[in-house]
Order: sequence, then C-alpha cells, then structure tokens
Amino acid sequence: MERDEQDTIIATRNLSRTYTMGKVQVQALNNVTLDIRRGEFAAIMGKSGSGKSTLLHQLGLLDTPTEGEITIDGVEISGLSESESTMFRLEKFGYVFQEYAILPEMTALENVYLPAMALGLSRDECVTKGMDALEKVGLVARADHRPKEMSGGEQQRVAIARALINEPKILFADEPTANLDSTSSKQILELFRELNRDIGQTILMVTHELEDADIVDRVIWLTDGAVVERAG
Amino acid sequence: MTSTTTELKVSAFLAYKFTAKGNRGTTLLTILIMALAFVNLMFTTSVFDGMGDATEKQVIDTLYSNIVIEPADEEVYIANPDSVVKKIINVPGVIGTSAQYVTGATIAYEEQSGAWSIRAVDPDDERTVSLVPDMMVEGEYLSKYDRGEIIIGTEIAGGHGGSLEHTSLGGVVVGDTLEVTFTNGVRREYRVKGIFDTNFIQANQLAYVTEKEMESVLGIHDMASQILVKTDTKGEEDRFLKQFVELGVHEDIKPWTVYAGIVATLTQSFDALNALTGAIGFFVAGITIFIVIYVSTVSKRRQMGILRAIGIKESIIIRSYVFQAVFYAVCGCIAGLVIMFAILVPYFIKHPMVFPMGNVTLLIEQKAAIMRSIGLIISAAIAGFLPSWRAVRETILDAIWGD
Ligand SMILES: Nc1ncnc2c1ncn2[C@@H]1O[C@H](COP(=O)(O)OP(=O)(O)O)[C@@H](O)[C@H]1O
Ligand SMILES: [Mg+2]
Repeated sequence: MERDEQDTIIATRNLSRTYTMGKVQVQALNNVTLDIRRGEFAAIMGKSGSGKSTLLHQLGLLDTPTEGEITIDGVEISGLSESESTMFRLEKFGYVFQEYAILPEMTALENVYLPAMALGLSRDECVTKGMDALEKVGLVARADHRPKEMSGGEQQRVAIARALINEPKILFADEPTANLDSTSSKQILELFRELNRDIGQTILMVTHELEDADIVDRVIWLTDGAVVERAG
Repeated sequence: MTSTTTELKVSAFLAYKFTAKGNRGTTLLTILIMALAFVNLMFTTSVFDGMGDATEKQVIDTLYSNIVIEPADEEVYIANPDSVVKKIINVPGVIGTSAQYVTGATIAYEEQSGAWSIRAVDPDDERTVSLVPDMMVEGEYLSKYDRGEIIIGTEIAGGHGGSLEHTSLGGVVVGDTLEVTFTNGVRREYRVKGIFDTNFIQANQLAYVTEKEMESVLGIHDMASQILVKTDTKGEEDRFLKQFVELGVHEDIKPWTVYAGIVATLTQSFDALNALTGAIGFFVAGITIFIVIYVSTVSKRRQMGILRAIGIKESIIIRSYVFQAVFYAVCGCIAGLVIMFAILVPYFIKHPMVFPMGNVTLLIEQKAAIMRSIGLIISAAIAGFLPSWRAVRETILDAIWGD
C-alpha cells in the first residue's frame, strides 16, 4: 500500500504519554509512531489498560502527550493554543464516547445540531443539517424526542449524528458499543461501516471486542502502550 | 455571524433549555427563593420610605404647608402681611396663603399645666393651607370672629391615647375652660371649642386661636410671625422661592423641607440597619444561586465535559450558567414585585403601621426597586459564574472520566 503525504490524515512520531501519580510513573503510551490514512476505518485494540483510550485522547486533542509529535491534516498540533485546539475539534473532529452523554433537556435534533450552532450556522441550516445527520443514523422519526424516551442504542445513534453534524475529517469512537446490547452494538458497527464506505468517513475506533476486527480495514494492536500492527 | 454573537446564542440556547426543559420544581423553587430575597431587600426600605413619605405629607398638611415666609433677620414680625401675600398670590401654582402669629404660652387645666405653641390664624385662610380643620375629633374648628375660644391637639388635651399623655392636660373635653398665660404675661381664659387629631405627634402639640384674639393679646395689629404658602406641586419649592424673591419678597423664605429635618435624622439612623439587612439579603440570594448552579455543574459534569470535548468553548458553558443565574434573579425580582404590590402593599393599606408621624404604609420607590434588582442580578451573576468557572478548570478527561 502506497503512502504519500496527501493520503495521510494523522501522523504521529515517537508519541509517549506518562502519567505521574505521586512517586509512581505509568507509561501509558510508549513511543508510538503511526500513520492513519484518509478514509480509513481503523480499530485500536488491545487488552484493558494497554493504552487504547490514551492513544485516542492524544490523537483527538483531549490530552497532551509527554513526548512526540502529532500532525493532523497537515497541522502540527503542539503549536495550537487551547482555544485553537477547541476550534480544531469543533470543525474537524467528531467524537462518540462510551457514555452517550446527550443533554436530557434537549430533543434528539437539538442535541445533534448544537455543534453546528456553535460553528455559527443559522437555525434553518442547523435544522437541515441536523435532520440529514439523523437520517444517516436512521432516527429521523425520533427528531423531536427527548433522550429519556429513547433506548440506549438510539441515544448512542443520536450521539453519532451529533458527531457527524459538522462533517468531521475524523470520527473518534471510544468503545461506543460497550454499554449496548448485542443487537444495538451490531447496528452501530454497521452504521460505522456504511459511513466509511458511503461517504469515505475516516474512523478511529477503540474496541475490545475481538470480532470487531472483521469489520474494519485495519487493526492497531496495543500492548503495554506500544503498537503491534495486524492486518484487518 | 461574528463569533461573539454565535457564542451568546449558544449560551442562551443552553441556558434556556436547562431552565425551561430542566427540572420544573428546581426552577420554581429557585425563583421563589429569589422572590423572597427580593421582598426581604425591599421591605425595610419600603417601610422607611413610607415613613419618610408619611412625614412629608404630615409636615406639609398639618404644620408648615409647602413654603414658609418668615420675618427678615432681626425682625420679630412681618409687617403688613397682606402686601406680601399680594405679591405672590397670583404666581401660577400658588393655591393658598395663611398669615399666622406664633407665640409660646403656658396652658393650665385644673392641676395640670404645660408649655405649648399657640398659633393664631384667620380660619378661612388656614383652610387653604392646612388639613387640620378637617381633622377635628371633638367639637368644631374656629370661625373668623371667635373670641375667647381655643382649639387644641390631642397631645395637649390628653385622654386620646397620644404618646405624650404624661405631659398632657390629662383629659380635657370640649367646653372645658383653660387658663392660658402668654409669654408677654397676659393671662386669659379660653373655652375649648374643639380638639383635633392629625396622627402626627408634632402637629398634635399645637393650639389655635383666631387672629383677632391674638392681636388683642399682643396689642399689635396687621403683623404676622409667618406666612404659610400652599403650592399645587411638591418638590418644586426652590423654583417658587426664586420667583418670590424676584417678585420683591424681602422676607426669609424657606421650603417645608427645612422643618422636616427631625424626621430625616430619625430615618437616617435606620440607614445602617437598612444597609445591613440589604447586605444579608444579597448574600442569601447569592448563596442560593451559588448552590443551585453548583449542584447543576456537578450533576452535568460529564455532559459538560463531553460538550467541551466536541468543541464547545468553556466561555460558552460558563456564560450559559451565568445566564441561568440571571434568569432566576430577573424572575425573582418580578415575582418579588408582584408579591409586594399584590399582597404586602394592599395589606398595609388595610392595616397601616402606627408611628409617631402617623399611619405608615409601604412605599415602593422606583429607584430603590431598580437599585435592589440590579444588586440582586449582579450577585446572582457572580454566584452563577463562580461554580461554573470552577467546573471548567478541571481537564476535559477528568470531567468525563474522573470520579
Ligand atoms: N489519568 C490517569 N492517571 C493515571 N494513570 C492513568 C490515567 N489514565 C490512564 N492511566 C493508566 O494508563 C494505562 C492505560 O490506560 P487506558 O488508555 O485507559 O487503557 P485502555 O483504554 O486500553 O483500557 C492504564 O495503566 C491506566 O491505569
Ligand atoms: Mg479505555
């Protein structure tokens, strides 16, 4: 597989993250050098505590590495100020967490378009794009429902629609199905697969379900904070 | 759209959803507490303002009218008061004048006696500047040609539940005869023609005889100790003063406010108390808001962490909480005003508080209400800012996964 600069959306060089807790130091990430290509659907896998979430947080600009470089979409990340980083996340990233954490006071649609509103879109544009995003996750019929009227799987799909609203360059997901039953989990994974295939969405997903490896393009296997690649 | 308006829009949207679509009970309870804090802030002030207002009215209605013309320096009397009255009576806004003699006297009834002021008036003129003629509780007011008759306030008469019962004449009634010794030594007997009650301790310590009666006591004619002037507006006394001087009045002209000083100092001594209750009120309101917002930031910690993760600025989140706090405060002020105007003010109109200056009801001054509303809103904004500012201090990862 040929790799040129154009194709690479995330590049890390010698990335390390060490947590210091009192006198104890935990090396959660150890010298990770890694490229992710545009349009790739990659899974980060490994045992519990192997550093999967830590890696995702560094790439998703939610944490600062102790050492090493990250370049995303041609931008060297360490040069960003805190507010530039916030804006970068708003414009270029979508996140799906294990906790769907959508706001209970808002309808599905409002939850979904909040990031578009923060980008300065008008109400009409927000509604149009919000409905498009809900359409992608198959929840148009639920647009005006509040979270408490939805199942866990539906709430997670609302969170995915929210992650998609600003047409992110990269979609990050940290064990998005961990809290869901197997039917809902399957739906979510299929949704990711479709998004990747139909609109070329780049997806970086942490998972500990071994069978998820079958559905992705590539598995990045972590052991004690270091990368051991495997074919998808 | 500029980024600032966008931020404000998102903050307002979040605040609106949290308050309108959040827990109704919390919202209503918070607004109720804010309303009570506002009422607490307003109540003492309204009582003091009501006292001040009652005093002003009493001083004007029963003691000095709006403007008092006194003899120029070194003079004891105003000579030819009619000529002074003629100069000012046609000034627009002047609706009455009354030239009076004022003298001290010892009044005795049986074993009791005391020193009081006696005013001598032309009853017809007096009615144009004073409400005392309408406040008779026994007998009648003077008529122009009465001689040998006196009317007295309840604090002189006694037996009407006045505050100065111990120094009164101990229960004089209409028809009793009083022995009056004037400061110039003249002693006369007067029949009590009437007793008045103004509800105002100072005015109730006056006695009145007719002008003709006093001129025979003093042995002078066509003089006055003071001329009271009634105007159709209150608060424009300075304008009238200037006009009177321009019209050639050389006497000493004073507004009624000069005479209301005693009560002004009385209410001033309450200012410290007022400031203290105010400070406590703002503090209670601030703490309430602080707790409400604090609890909200704790219960929404994870959700807010995720909003920050997906790119919602911290300033937007802080501002959404400040907006909520301000919303609670604004609703509280409005609800507080409704409570005051719909419940408390009517209640005290029905059951006024009895003070030495008369019956006092609550007076809600616009300025006081605005100042306290602003104060409440500012303390709410600060109280909303602090916990939300503190909440976004922690890292995004701690907010989402911390314990
Ligand atoms: N905030 C933290 N402070 C200290 N140690 C941490 C922190 N976050 C993660 N770790 C440690 O780093 C290692 C990797 O954690 P994590 O990335 O969450 O693993 P995974 O997601 O693969 O289960 C673990 O040993 C974990 O205990
Ligand atoms: Mg993890």
